[in-house]
Amino acid sequence: MKQKRSTRLVLTLMQVLLAIVVLLPFFWMVSVSLKPPTEPFAIPARLWPDHPTVGNYVSAFRPEFRTYFLNSLVVSLATVVITVTLGLLAAYSFTRAQIVAISALVGLVVLAQMFPHSAIIIPIYKMMRSADLLNTYWSLILAYVSVTLPVAIWMLRGFLLKLPAALEESAAIDGATPLRVFWDIVVPLSRPGLIATAVYVLIVTWQEFLFALSFTSTKEMRTLPVGLNDFIGQYGIRYGELMASSVMVSLPVMAVFFFLQRYFVAGITAGAVKG
Amino acid sequence: MRKDRRLHWLLLAPALILMAVMLYYPMFGTVYESFHETSFLSPDPKFAGLALYRRIVADRTFAEVVVNSIVWTFGVVLLQNILGFLTALLLNQNLPMQGVLRAIVLLPFILPGVVAAILWRFMYDPQLGLVNSLLLQTGLIENSVAWLADSRMAMASVIVAAVWKGFPFSMLIYLAALQNVDQSQIEAATLDGAGPTRRLLDVTLPAIRDVIVVNVVLTLILTFNYFDIIWVLTRGGPQSATHIFPTKIYETGFGQFRFGEAATYGVFSILVLAVLVALYAIVQGRANRRRGVA
Amino acid sequence: MKRSLLTAVTMGAMLLGTSSVLAQQVTLQFWDNQQTESGLSDVQKAAVERFMKENPDIKIEVTTVPYPEYQQRLLTAVQGGNAPDIATLDQIWVGAFAKAGAVADLTEQAGAAALARDNFFGGAWDSAVLGGKLYGIPFNVDVWQFSYYNKALLDAAKIDPASLSTFDGLKAAAEKLTTNGKFGVGLFGHKGEDTVVVGDSFIFSNGGKVLNDDGSCGLTEAPAVEALTYLQQLSKFAPGGILNASSGDMRELFLNGSLAIEFWPALEQPTLQKSKLDWGFVSGTAPEGKTPVGTFGGWNLAIFESSPNKDAAWKFIQFMVREDVNGDVVDLIPANKKAATAFLEKNRKDPKVIMAHLENAKARPLSPRYLELADAQIAMFQEIYAGGDPAAAAAKACEAINALD
Repeated sequence: MKQKRSTRLVLTLMQVLLAIVVLLPFFWMVSVSLKPPTEPFAIPARLWPDHPTVGNYVSAFRPEFRTYFLNSLVVSLATVVITVTLGLLAAYSFTRAQIVAISALVGLVVLAQMFPHSAIIIPIYKMMRSADLLNTYWSLILAYVSVTLPVAIWMLRGFLLKLPAALEESAAIDGATPLRVFWDIVVPLSRPGLIATAVYVLIVTWQEFLFALSFTSTKEMRTLPVGLNDFIGQYGIRYGELMASSVMVSLPVMAVFFFLQRYFVAGITAGAVKG
Repeated sequence: MRKDRRLHWLLLAPALILMAVMLYYPMFGTVYESFHETSFLSPDPKFAGLALYRRIVADRTFAEVVVNSIVWTFGVVLLQNILGFLTALLLNQNLPMQGVLRAIVLLPFILPGVVAAILWRFMYDPQLGLVNSLLLQTGLIENSVAWLADSRMAMASVIVAAVWKGFPFSMLIYLAALQNVDQSQIEAATLDGAGPTRRLLDVTLPAIRDVIVVNVVLTLILTFNYFDIIWVLTRGGPQSATHIFPTKIYETGFGQFRFGEAATYGVFSILVLAVLVALYAIVQGRANRRRGVA
Repeated sequence: MKRSLLTAVTMGAMLLGTSSVLAQQVTLQFWDNQQTESGLSDVQKAAVERFMKENPDIKIEVTTVPYPEYQQRLLTAVQGGNAPDIATLDQIWVGAFAKAGAVADLTEQAGAAALARDNFFGGAWDSAVLGGKLYGIPFNVDVWQFSYYNKALLDAAKIDPASLSTFDGLKAAAEKLTTNGKFGVGLFGHKGEDTVVVGDSFIFSNGGKVLNDDGSCGLTEAPAVEALTYLQQLSKFAPGGILNASSGDMRELFLNGSLAIEFWPALEQPTLQKSKLDWGFVSGTAPEGKTPVGTFGGWNLAIFESSPNKDAAWKFIQFMVREDVNGDVVDLIPANKKAATAFLEKNRKDPKVIMAHLENAKARPLSPRYLELADAQIAMFQEIYAGGDPAAAAAKACEAINALD
């Protein structure tokens, strides 16, 4: 579709504006992270420190940071794999089983999304304790899978509902078992949905704070958001180091998402089924 | 057919069992606790009937929490979806650099909530913050504004921070939906002489109606239960100006050790959220019917 | 023969004895507030090593927790039945933990070891006493607040620093200093305990009380309301945004030279020494002719009731508060008075001023429901900083406080 030159100009300007609104806080985050601890904050705020240094990065990149990073990675990836798998199985059943009881259960999935985590965390904590899972990866993975599962089912159910029934029906007529249909037709077709859901689960899990705070107790098991919290003292915040570690936390994820984002969009365009 | 039924139940089982154990059982535990008075001093639950419910409803802050929760949810959901949709439209235009921009726009959503909140608390700092500095230097305001400390401004300020953090998520879903819209219909509409606005209203919006519904419900639930941003920015203050259900639950439970009352707030919070979702469903249903009739 | 048999038996018994001691080596879990301001954790590690060398049968595992999450972590641990053996408890938590039966009564052990109130700062010792029983040993202390001032700004305005220690002097100075984009005095009123301790010290200095001797709320009495009224007037000369500001925010303004006076405990000194500021301090603020009364802050060492190794834990506590150790393991001020004197001489400017302010300081109310009490007070301070009527705000706070049993 062709656009007038003036329209394109306006749209490009709007893009620039959008980029500024999004990036300005990040720019400032980087600026604060480069400010030496001895240089006081200026009034009015200075966009760039007088004597930028990477000192905060050096002190923030402690061995603990690497441990936290690894922990976040393990917990997030495990959660993504399990949630997306269980979510797709459940969503398939929800959309394809012509069983009244199963359709009725969809309401329970929606309802479960509404439970405030701050309220249900205590009973979950007690369960984890009885199962002797506190301060393990499993306590976090189980909790994260549970709290992300309702949304994952909901998202995947939406995608599966839009898939054309014709392909599955003809395969079934050709004698394919429901499992075959699921594996050969439904899984490949729902790839965009799977990626979108995985992205969502990863983002939520990567930054989860409340459960990680409550279920892990040693430095060996902590995840990044809880580790970042260490820079908040009793009466003040060490902004420089906090912002430096925030940048370090964001960079790799940014890289991953830059890649995933293109994959994600391409997946959707390729898998789009024209009705 | 019977084998199919068994298969479907089998596929569903892991998810259902997990949700039953990890979500429903704790939620019933919370409901149970709401009828029992517990505190750190006497951790053994004592049956209290509806006493905690009466106590909370009689408390002045309860009404504030309900109103705040609604204002907060309404504000964030509305702004986040409008901004998310407009951004998705903008990023769906085949302009140069869109791939990069799409990734950039996602950044706020990737940033851990706690960090985003600390960043914004500093942005909003009346003296040292970037917001006041820029507004003062460009002459948009004459005196520093205490964004988070003034009870008239605080809620609007936390909403802006939350929208900045949340709109990329809505954008992502809208963008995916827009790319699914049938191009031939849009081209047909263009040939019929429809301008961009008409095409948007007559072709695009109806095509992504379901996505809008899902997006609104999803952001509504997530926003209503969102804890990190407000807790770090204001702790529900000044006074109770930004207290919403999750912050109140946390403060009562983990701040004051009153788990019975925290649980009661938890039950109320689900009721209020259910009402909000139901109201939206009714409004949406009515709109659909009207459209169907027309 | 008989004799050698006896020897053999004795030797066997001794061997058994030693081996059982070796087998019985106990491991103690020690939780501590994570010190972010200093390189203290290394020194503390060295002290723990030293203790283990002195007591080879006891192993200490240290877990440090950042302050914002410490209280919740301890609470969940106690409720979850996996509390540590020993922990440092913020003075204001002791009441609740003691009343809940979570921490052990140390009255007897302290008596036997001749650890008494006289060895420590009185206010700190009192913060561990509930119903006549001792539930912890003071570990470190500090006092809110000292008024730190920027010398250049005071000189330019021709203000005598000594005048800052009276109500009228501080107000006059703050007014005069609020000019040319500078701020007079750094008040803060966010939802945090620093809001309470500073407010309390103004109430204490004016002769007021938070709780009366019978446990009822004393905030509606004239001295307290007067102090609140004074704070409200003073707030005109503070940087905007008091209701979401913390002592940490005020420090940033003080460090960049735009704030003339900030309120902090003695803990602030190392930060200021590292800065390029020319600074000084006076202890607190009181009405003309009265001595400023500060509010005690600090940490106590407590043993958890669930610990199977209370004797070993007690040994560790005795070690940590010993005169020759206490000064090395704290970044506030050692609670052991002798250690404190040496510590202040070595590490702080004007140690005598600090010592006098500490001796004179008062503890916050010793209530098992202190946290709710503090919330009521925070609501009160926020109301007066927002311009509400002080008497009405105090009345509302008292209503809430008196409703706590």
